[in-house]
Amino acid sequence: MFLELSDVQKSYLDSSGSKFQVLGPIDLKVETGEFICLLGPTGCGKTTLLRILSGLEKSDRGEIGRGAGRFGYVFQQGALFPWMNVESNVMFPLKAIGMHGSECRVKAERILKMVGLYEFRKSFPHELSGGMQQRTALARGLVTEPELLLLDEPFASLDARTGINLQEMLRNLCGRLSTTVIFVTHNIEEAVYLADRIIVMGHRPGRIVRNESLDLKWPRDRLSNEFTEVLLSFRRTFEELVDPSTSSSS
Amino acid sequence: MRGEIVHGDGNIKISGRFTVKDLDYVSSALESESSERVTVDLSDCKSIDTCIAARMWSIAEDRIAKGASLDFQGMTPDIEALFKRFSALDDKPVPPAPPHTIRYNFEDIGDKVQATWESLSGLISFTGQSFKALFSGKVRGSITAYYMEQSGVMAVPIVVTLNWLMGVVLGYQAGYQMSQFGGELFMPALLAYSICWEIAPMMTAVLVAGRSGSAFAAEIGTMKVRQEIDALEVMGFNLYGYIVTPKMIALFVVMPLLITVANFAGMAGGLAAGGIFLKMPAVVYIAEVRKALIPFDLYWGLIKGLFYSTIISVTGSYMGMKVRGGPASVGKATTSAVVVSIFLVILVDALMSLIFIHLRPGLSL
Repeated sequence: MFLELSDVQKSYLDSSGSKFQVLGPIDLKVETGEFICLLGPTGCGKTTLLRILSGLEKSDRGEIGRGAGRFGYVFQQGALFPWMNVESNVMFPLKAIGMHGSECRVKAERILKMVGLYEFRKSFPHELSGGMQQRTALARGLVTEPELLLLDEPFASLDARTGINLQEMLRNLCGRLSTTVIFVTHNIEEAVYLADRIIVMGHRPGRIVRNESLDLKWPRDRLSNEFTEVLLSFRRTFEELVDPSTSSSS
Repeated sequence: MRGEIVHGDGNIKISGRFTVKDLDYVSSALESESSERVTVDLSDCKSIDTCIAARMWSIAEDRIAKGASLDFQGMTPDIEALFKRFSALDDKPVPPAPPHTIRYNFEDIGDKVQATWESLSGLISFTGQSFKALFSGKVRGSITAYYMEQSGVMAVPIVVTLNWLMGVVLGYQAGYQMSQFGGELFMPALLAYSICWEIAPMMTAVLVAGRSGSAFAAEIGTMKVRQEIDALEVMGFNLYGYIVTPKMIALFVVMPLLITVANFAGMAGGLAAGGIFLKMPAVVYIAEVRKALIPFDLYWGLIKGLFYSTIISVTGSYMGMKVRGGPASVGKATTSAVVVSIFLVILVDALMSLIFIHLRPGLSL
């Protein structure tokens, strides 16, 4: 078991000072090397859960048990440092863990080759397209070869074609590095394409309403009947969450 | 094709299709009926858009409020669904307006005092963490030099100009008043004391708070909005060491230097005022200033500079770190950084003035 959450809850104060619960209780177990997609409508607490897992926020209740090792985080908008070029951005987490000099550069060059950005290593973020910026963010998240990679809707702002290319790249990279992944998305097709297991979260306070491993083999064909069946099944769950009245009619 | 409305004796029959273009036509037909009970027959009405439905609904509500009625009959499912949306809106509870009672006013004051205290305690805690990082971390040389250039070198022209002008104004006004009693010769000493004890440190602090304090808040606030601060935190960087201490060190170095420059600029302004308005020779002015000032007067400005630099760098960074949400909050943080910095600078200045009287040789009460 790599990650275990039990009874994790989170509340915020609204503008009038009263408490409202945004998350939980959440109970979840994640195996080493598993690719998990957290799927749910906007505002259901997916990002809050990810921020709690990364330590950016603290939960009000519950326990989180995590295996030893580093973790990487890929943000929705990349969060690249605009004053650094691509290579420096990617080398930055390595410096944070105390790595210096040529070792740093070799590792950065290796991951940049993997994401196809080696030729652009001296470019600055504003000189890159949205897809290239997200590839840089992905490289920065993976350069330390983390045991756990957290991704917060990293492809949400990209066009469909670029998104599909990056999904394939992400899946291949994480497979090669045996990284445990928690990927937040509200895109059902993206989740069905990427995940070993999909966890659907319901409306506020965010709770797990469906937790299901996928039997789909790799490589996945988006046009196959099996893929479409799984996709439709999750779409129905999703629609019931958004409009519960559809559950009686379906 | 435009729809048709036939009305009379409390009965209105609406036929055909209606869009926003027919708004006036529909309104005038519905409002023209003066009967207490009006029935609207929609059985031949093919379609209406949201705008027409909203107007019909509001006219019906107005009539009900006046004790009359307006009933819709023969609605198609589409039209009924439109009306249901408005009825759902009406059913939503309206939050009660805050009561204007004495108790409410006291609660309001209490909330504001609590919020101010939370902000202040947050700032004190932030200052403590920043000093801890300052004494425990390594200095980021290149970025510190960058802030020294931005906050120090780039500020020299405006600091010199404003302090020189302050010197001219003070020199002229003090000289004019003193000349009424034949005391022009005391003007250089008065001016030197005012400039070195108060005007130069205060003017420099206000300018640096406006230029650099706001820039620090905007820079950190933007990083916060773009999740760059989160990215640094996730990578394990000490945010205080990485973000705040370069700014603190830069201001520790440049503020005393800027105050020293401001001292000389202010006294040069007094020299110009003395020469132009009082016809005082430069050698006399300089001799009088040298007679009045002791080294402690100049050192005091440098000590004040260290306190002011802490206030400006820490407050600017703290306000930037407090940014939540979108770019609009960056603007608010920038304004707060300047206002709070200047307030704290004046507060500390007042306290330091009390101490100064007891510390300066020859000034004890």
